[in-house]
Parts: sequence; structure tokens; C-alpha cells
Amino acid sequence: MENEFLYMLAVVGAGWAVTYAMRALPFLLFAGRGRELPAWVTRFGSFISPVVIASLIVYSYSGLQWRTPWPYLAGALTVALHLWKGNPLVSISAGVALYMALVSCCGCASTHHDRELVYDAAHPLIHFTNKGMKFRDRYVTPEEAVRLLKKHKVPKDATIHMLVDEDFSSPRATWVFQHNYLGKAGYRKAIVVHARHASSSAPKRRDDRRNPPRR
Amino acid sequence: MLNVSERFSPLAPRERRAVLRRAFVDSLPVLMGYTSMGFVAGALLAAKAGLGHATLWGLLSSAMCVSGTFSFAMVQPVADRAPAWTFALLAAGLNFRYAFYGFTMLARWKDVPLLRKLFLVHMLSDENYALEAACRYARPSANLLYCMSLSAMNLSYWVAGVTAGAFAVTLLQGALDPDLIRARTNGLEFAMVALFLVIFTDQAKEIAKHGK
Repeated sequence: MENEFLYMLAVVGAGWAVTYAMRALPFLLFAGRGRELPAWVTRFGSFISPVVIASLIVYSYSGLQWRTPWPYLAGALTVALHLWKGNPLVSISAGVALYMALVSCCGCASTHHDRELVYDAAHPLIHFTNKGMKFRDRYVTPEEAVRLLKKHKVPKDATIHMLVDEDFSSPRATWVFQHNYLGKAGYRKAIVVHARHASSSAPKRRDDRRNPPRR
Repeated sequence: MLNVSERFSPLAPRERRAVLRRAFVDSLPVLMGYTSMGFVAGALLAAKAGLGHATLWGLLSSAMCVSGTFSFAMVQPVADRAPAWTFALLAAGLNFRYAFYGFTMLARWKDVPLLRKLFLVHMLSDENYALEAACRYARPSANLLYCMSLSAMNLSYWVAGVTAGAFAVTLLQGALDPDLIRARTNGLEFAMVALFLVIFTDQAKEIAKHGK
């Protein structure tokens, strides 16, 4: 999908440009001269990296089941093994194995699979944005979206509402999805809903999504 | 003082082979690390980010950003479709340390031809830098050949690992229910956190050693 293409190009480009700039910095600053660094620069450099990594640890814990004790147990095992053995491969794989085992046997049920699926004009299943395609609240590939429809046993004669953002720049993508994916899978009825028309009824606020109106 | 063309005069074939063999043997530990870590990074990208062409993006991102931490850290923001400047900030914070690697290479790579220098700078990753800094070849042409071949090998390991991981998960997604894969790989995202924890532990150890 071309929107996703542009988005990922921007992501990779930003990552590359900054990484390369960091690596090239000394060559640009002291072209040709081998010079000693000021002491405060080295001290600042050795200080900034642990701070960034620590904040990343906190950030990525938010993607785990942080309300249960499991990620902390697995984290403790990882750090302990690393202090003891000093082999990154061993400590990482042990931590991952423990976390996966704990989560699969006594983790909390993942939230978005088990809820009953509501699909009507006010709650479109498919949502086209400039950053990719969403199935309910998750970004998915077209194949995944069709499989999810089948998995949730959406009947073939149901009307599939495809919400399109107001600033969506690739109308062809909706056409391709409707014909090459939905049509091939047997879903013949699909309607494009434009966000500006749907704005009065489409769920915008968080509360609306949590408590959909009763049918 | 030798002039530039003399400094980087070509090596005798026999010497050349010896340098290449040395570089290959030195790169073997990196082969283990890069392919396994890259495989997990690529698999995570394909399984969690909801991208249409995960293999392509695995290939492109690994070739452009040879930075393990960044490859892991970018997965969650991509899944949330965070704006592009987030990734610039992320890369700046994570890869700030690379700015210090170049300083020790300034004198050694002073007269290296531009294209090769650009490539060497591109490949200034942790493992690559550690090996290059420890390189024993004093003769500039041998040293340059060592650094160039080592960089090329390590780049190929990293790209192959990430691409293979992304491709494997994409194949599985075609054959199996994506929700089933999500359930089976439930908890794999801890690999990223574990990597950060390991790096942080190393840094803490380092600070504890030098701080006093």
C-alpha cells in the first residue's frame, strides 16, 4: 500500500540520517586532525547513553503485561544471569523463555480478541489512514484483515463498512482492498464511508468505543 | 612520509589472502550474534508491526541502520504508527555513543578514499568497531583491507539475519491464522526489553568500574 510505503520510507530515512550523522560527526568536526576530546564531552557521552537505555526500558515495559509480576521476574532473571555469566545470548534467551512461559500459562488474557465484534455504519471494521490500514484499533495487513473477518465469523452477506480518513491520499487502496481481498474472499458488500460524513456517528472519543450503543 | 597512493598501494596476493582470512575468522563471533539477533528483530517487525511488506522493510531498515538497538526499538513505535520525528529522536538517543567511536579512527582513516570512507562510517557499529579498533595490521593498506572486508561481512550477516526473520514470519502468516501466531509468539516482545536490560547492566558495570 503506497501510504504505508511512504510512511516506512520516512521512518527508515529518519533512522538512517540520524544514525549516519552520529557516526560521521567526528569526521566532520575534526576533518583530518587527530585531536583529543574535551573531558566534559566524554563525560557527557558516557552519561547520556545509560539514561536513554533506562528510559527505553521503562517505555518498552508499557508494551508488556506490566500489571502482572511476570515481566519483572523475567527482567530480574535476565539481569542476574548477565551479572553472573556475562553472556548476552544466554541471559536474553533465558529471560524471554521465562516470560513466554509465565505469560502463556498464567498471564492475563489478551484484551482485543475476545470482545464481541460490533460492525455497523457507526462502527466500521476497516479504517484507512495515511499510515496504513486498521482492523478495529490495530494496524494490519490486508491478508490479516480478511483472516480476522473470517475468524470472527462475519457473514459473507454482511455489509463491510470501510471508513476513509478525510485526508486519505490513496483512494485506489480502498478499491484494491475491496476487489482483490474482500471480493476474492466472498465479501461482496463493502461500502466506503468518508470520515466527514460519518463524523456525527463514528466513534471518535475513547468512551464511545468502550461502550458502543446497544443495537 | 608516504603520499596517499603509496600508503594504500595494493597488497601482494598472498598477503591479501592472509588479511581476508584473518577478517573472516574474526567475524565468526559476529556471525553468530548478528544472525540470531537479526532474526529475532526481523521476526518481531513482521509479527508485531502490521506491515504489508515486512520482508522489504526488514531488508531496507537493516541495510540502512546497522544498529541492533534501533532495529528492536523501532518495532513498537511502528506498530503505533508514531510520527517520523519520533524515530529521529530515538536514533539520536540510542546511537549517540557512535559519535565517540569515530574519534579513535580519525588518524587511521585520514586519507582513505571518499567512497570507502563513507562505507566505513556507515558500518561503525559496536561489534564492528570493537574488532576494527583491535586490528593489529600497522600497514595502512592491510588495515584498510581488513576494515573494509570485515565491514562488508558483518553487514551481510546483519541484513541476512533480519531479512530471514521477517521472511520466515511472513511465510507463517500466509499459512496460519495471524491470531494464532500472535498467541504463539505472545511474550516474544520481551526480547527487546531483555536486550536493553543487558546493555544497561553492562553500562552500569562499566560506570561502577571507572567511576571510583
